[in-house]
Amino acid sequence: MNGKVTAIIAILAMLFATGVTFGLYEINFHGFTHLTNYSKTPAYSLAGTRLYSNGTLFLQISRTAGPDTYGGFIVLVQVLYPNGSVFYQWTGQQLGMLPPSDIKNEFPLHPSKPIKIGNYGVGILVPLGQNSTIILQIPHPVPPGTYIVRVWDADGQDSAYGMKFEITVEVTS
Amino acid sequence: MAQVTVEETQKFLPILRITLGWMFFSAFVRRTINVPAKLNPSSSAYVGGKLITFLPHAWGPIKPILVSVLQNPGMLYDFIIMFTALEAIFGLLMILGLLTRLSGLVLAGLAWGIGLAAGWLGSTCVDEWQIAAMEGAAAFMFVFTGSRWLSVDYFLAKKWKGIKIGKYYIPLW
Repeated sequence: MNGKVTAIIAILAMLFATGVTFGLYEINFHGFTHLTNYSKTPAYSLAGTRLYSNGTLFLQISRTAGPDTYGGFIVLVQVLYPNGSVFYQWTGQQLGMLPPSDIKNEFPLHPSKPIKIGNYGVGILVPLGQNSTIILQIPHPVPPGTYIVRVWDADGQDSAYGMKFEITVEVTS
Repeated sequence: MAQVTVEETQKFLPILRITLGWMFFSAFVRRTINVPAKLNPSSSAYVGGKLITFLPHAWGPIKPILVSVLQNPGMLYDFIIMFTALEAIFGLLMILGLLTRLSGLVLAGLAWGIGLAAGWLGSTCVDEWQIAAMEGAAAFMFVFTGSRWLSVDYFLAKKWKGIKIGKYYIPLW
């Protein structure tokens, strides 16, 4: 190989490797636009949550951010009127005492599960990346209308990265 | 026996080569010698579960592949074994400096591939992206430099120039 060909290959290889480095930076951390590190604090998505007039709540919860080795912990689930006042809610005490069979996990590894210490319910553990359906029952019928379902993490937050851990649901008769 | 000339730069490549190879080979050591439970699907330490944590912000095109692998435990196990074997074989070859160019290509693929799935993780810093980008670029460099000193390739190069296709030699070392 003569020197010219070698130089061209070297420059192309450099551009390629640099392109991959920059590309991964932008894809993973939006490093050239709006730098975001999703590993810092837990976040949840409730997309797919359904509430029925008989009081059954299928809480669809996926953990979308936060440390990969620990948490997160849901310690409060609220069903709210559109004005924000509470229609019904489950505290960590109740959530932690749920039978594990009321939580259906999309992936068998790293399942979400209720956490309790003796008779003290703590909340629900939702590992990073897991997508679970938590079946909850309001002990009375729910009038048709619009409601907001909101969850709170054990760190006292109900939003992260500009996204709220809530979703608007419609109850039809 | 043909004379092998070793440029000065080549003598300093093992500084990087052995550390780079160990980054991959040690993954195999951790999963087989240090903590064998990492390869046991019924253990909570099973590395298959790690793939779930990649999901939330994995690069769009590979997310559906991750999901389908995770929903099929047999496929997940085969993937983990195959990935671990590749890390073991080509990590060791990189340390030994045997087929260094080919090893560089495979290791760059592994590093950059992981960067597309797990690259967004990093609770201390932008950790996984740094690992993927650095290891990928380093391994890619060895595709072009080979490693002709303190390496098995050094001895191979004395005997064979490479594979001749037409009038071109494909340098394997």
